[in-house]
Amino acid sequence: MRVNGPLTVDELVQQFGNSGSFGAGRLSTACDIYERMLRDDECTVFLGLAGALVPAGMRSLVADSLRENRIDVLVTTGANMVHDTIEALGGHHYKGHWAVDDLLLYKYHTYRIYDVFLPEEDFIRLDMKLTEMYDEIADENRGKRLSSREFAWELGKRLKDPQSVLRAAYEAQAPVFMPAVRDSEFGYIYNLHASRRNFKNTLLVDAFKDVNEIIRICRESERNGMIILGGGVPRNTIQSAALATKSGIDYAVVVTMDRAETGGLSGSTLEETVSWGKLKGAADKVMVPADAMIAFPLMVASVVERLGKNHKRAPRKKTESFRETINT
Amino acid sequence: MKKTKNADSEKFCGNCTSHNAYEYPTRVFCTRRFLKNKNPIVQTLWHCEDWIKNAQECYCVRDAKEKQKQPA
Repeated sequence: MRVNGPLTVDELVQQFGNSGSFGAGRLSTACDIYERMLRDDECTVFLGLAGALVPAGMRSLVADSLRENRIDVLVTTGANMVHDTIEALGGHHYKGHWAVDDLLLYKYHTYRIYDVFLPEEDFIRLDMKLTEMYDEIADENRGKRLSSREFAWELGKRLKDPQSVLRAAYEAQAPVFMPAVRDSEFGYIYNLHASRRNFKNTLLVDAFKDVNEIIRICRESERNGMIILGGGVPRNTIQSAALATKSGIDYAVVVTMDRAETGGLSGSTLEETVSWGKLKGAADKVMVPADAMIAFPLMVASVVERLGKNHKRAPRKKTESFRETINT
Repeated sequence: MKKTKNADSEKFCGNCTSHNAYEYPTRVFCTRRFLKNKNPIVQTLWHCEDWIKNAQECYCVRDAKEKQKQPA
């Protein structure tokens, strides 16, 4: 590995590849696999987003990746999209510190996510604004059950901030699934919205409706690739869709700090995933034990550099049956 | 644990269980009023008949009182 002068991101990653060992080798392999996904016109690229990556600043990177078709389908925790919406509505995440008196933060109504601070005021403004949005969405849809993908687009349609992930997904018509949507402020806001309406004519988001949509996307794609940041429910959602199609995933990059020994999905090895049939035995795959806030931006920068400024990846093909699904 | 009314505390929206920060420290958001479709933004040093003491106090009341003392 040589660093003899100024290096571009991809030149550094190439040096990691020259080492080929430990985390450097794995990150280099992850970039190679992501490049192959993006050069494969028949591949649908899924990004699984878990952990507080949006509060830490990954919002614009994900939004740009959706707009530029470097991600075709986003599967995320509800919480990441809550924080995206907070910023879209004018709220902010602040650089704080991890070594603080948390009871003092509580007394000042300030929330902490490791070294990121968030004022409660911004959550309250979100609650008030989204309660209005929920009312509007419920009135427009009048009893129609929405998948989390439809719900995400309804929100994205109403957000004007171009840096917003939800806005970018809506503009790009890129599906965003939030399989655990109720396990976030979106769920609590539902309670506010429904209580104010005496639980009549409320917004209806149907988690099971997601299942058919995501399976259909997987099935109609010649090949499927996944990049997992963290793991959790988003990783399982993507993998389970691939299992349901009986075809398995073709390309896989998992960036996680979790370990396999506890039996939790986030740290489970990709070999374990093969045993379920969720990943092809011959899949192009690597697990990168790293902080996703470091690894993913490096991956994107490296691959964008390799592809060059003139490379334009076409949007994922919207098949007739998927159009039927989204119009149902 | 069920929250009970406590007659010993000074009654302010800023130490009521239904409050959240809105415009610290002078104004708070009241969930109870919001759920009743009333204006949820109230003065920190106001209170209503539904006041219930918050189990773990914040600095809203202390800082709102300090702010009140300051010349406009």
